This record gives sequence, C-alpha cells and structure tokens, in this order.
Amino acid sequence: MRAFAARDDGTVAARVKRDEALLLQNLASQVSVLLREGNANDPAVVRMLPDAYPGDPAASAEFRRYTASGLIDRKVSNADVVIVTLSSAIDSGEVLLDHVQAGAWLRCLTDIRLSLASRLGIESDDQEPDGDNVLQGLYDWLGFLQNSLVEAIDV
Amino acid sequence: MADTIEETHVSERSALDVPWVTLVLNDPVNLMSYVSYVFRSYFGYPPAEAERLMLQVHLTGRAVVATGTREEMERHVEAMHDYGLWATMGKADA
Repeated sequence: MRAFAARDDGTVAARVKRDEALLLQNLASQVSVLLREGNANDPAVVRMLPDAYPGDPAASAEFRRYTASGLIDRKVSNADVVIVTLSSAIDSGEVLLDHVQAGAWLRCLTDIRLSLASRLGIESDDQEPDGDNVLQGLYDWLGFLQNSLVEAIDV
Repeated sequence: MADTIEETHVSERSALDVPWVTLVLNDPVNLMSYVSYVFRSYFGYPPAEAERLMLQVHLTGRAVVATGTREEMERHVEAMHDYGLWATMGKADA
C-alpha cells in the first residue's frame, strides 16, 4: 500500500494490494471484536475507553456508563467503513475515500494502532522499537499510512 | 443540622463557580500530525495554535485544550476518545 494522495475532486486515494487490503480488513474486524467483547481488563480496551476522571473511579465509571456504548458503536462503524471501502478496493487496486470515510479511516487506524501498541508494550515515546517483532513492522506501516492520510486531507 | 445544610450550599456554589478543563495527555502512539489535525478539525483551532497545543502535549505531557462547564467538558472528552486521543477532565484549579 502506498501513501494516500489528494485528488482534484476532494477525495483521497491510495494504491492497495489484495493481501494488504485483506490484512487491514482483518485488523479492523479484530478491533471491532475487542470493543464488542468489552473486556474491562484488556489494556487495549482500557486505552480506547480511558478513565475521564483520573483518581476518581466512581465518576469515571459513571462517565463510561453514559458514553461507552455510543463510543463503541461509532468505533465499530468506523471499522465497518474501513472494511467496506477495502472490499471495493480489492478489485480496482485503489482505495478511494470521501471526506467522511477518511475521518472514519483516521479514527479506525488510531484504534488499531492503540491496540497493537498495547500488545507490543509500547508505553513511552523514547522506547526502542522491537525490530524482530512482526507486529512492530505492521504498527510502523499503519503509522505511515495514517500520517499520509492526515496530510492528504489537509484540514 | 442547619450547619450541614449551609455547608452543602457553599460547596455547591463553589462547584459551579470553578470552571472545568479538558486535558489531552501525551501517549506514545498518536502521531503529532494526527493530534494537530484533531485540534484543528474538532476545536477549530487555527493551524499555529493547534500546533502549539500539540507540541505542549508532546513535550510537557499534557495541555488544556478547552475550558467551560462540566457538561461541555464531558462532551469534549468523549469526542477526544472518539478520535482515540487520551483525554481527561478536571477542575481548572486542581
């Protein structure tokens, strides 16, 4: 998959190979499953739905009670957008996104990267990347894609 | 009894007076370009201000990105969680 680039009609596009599209669809769907299962002890879930009130578990729980289901629905719907747009890209070899779809992609790429980071144990800015880990390569690739998408939409 | 009621009254009033803030905290995952994009597109900050706040998060660990009522800040924190940013809220004087 290459970097996203802006097109004259305001959409953004990136070339994507079939195996890359399938991999991204798989990651998006794994994030949906994590969110739907909502295991409160899973660091990836905790990071996607963090405490709103640090040091106040009761207020944080109350906040989560009012916001979590809406947040999960929207995150799952973002993942669905990624999956559907990649399905159309598998034949054409190019993923094409309008402004709304690009917003869903940016959020979903974030959720995937947050989940991968929790599996990789990435906890600080100055941590040395684990060069041997295949997930690390995936994580870096998704960061490259996301950065190119931010630059392509240019808000 | 009268004292208790009086005290409750005072603490409710001061709770209304002190504004709340939305804080965005640094994390090792979110890209600087993305954080800056979120500040521009959600809060409508001009590019230079979005960049300044993003750098403040990155370099000092946190930045106040909004101030207002508790309800407004809860809405902002939820929106930040929607974007995948690590956001919390608190009293402005805390």
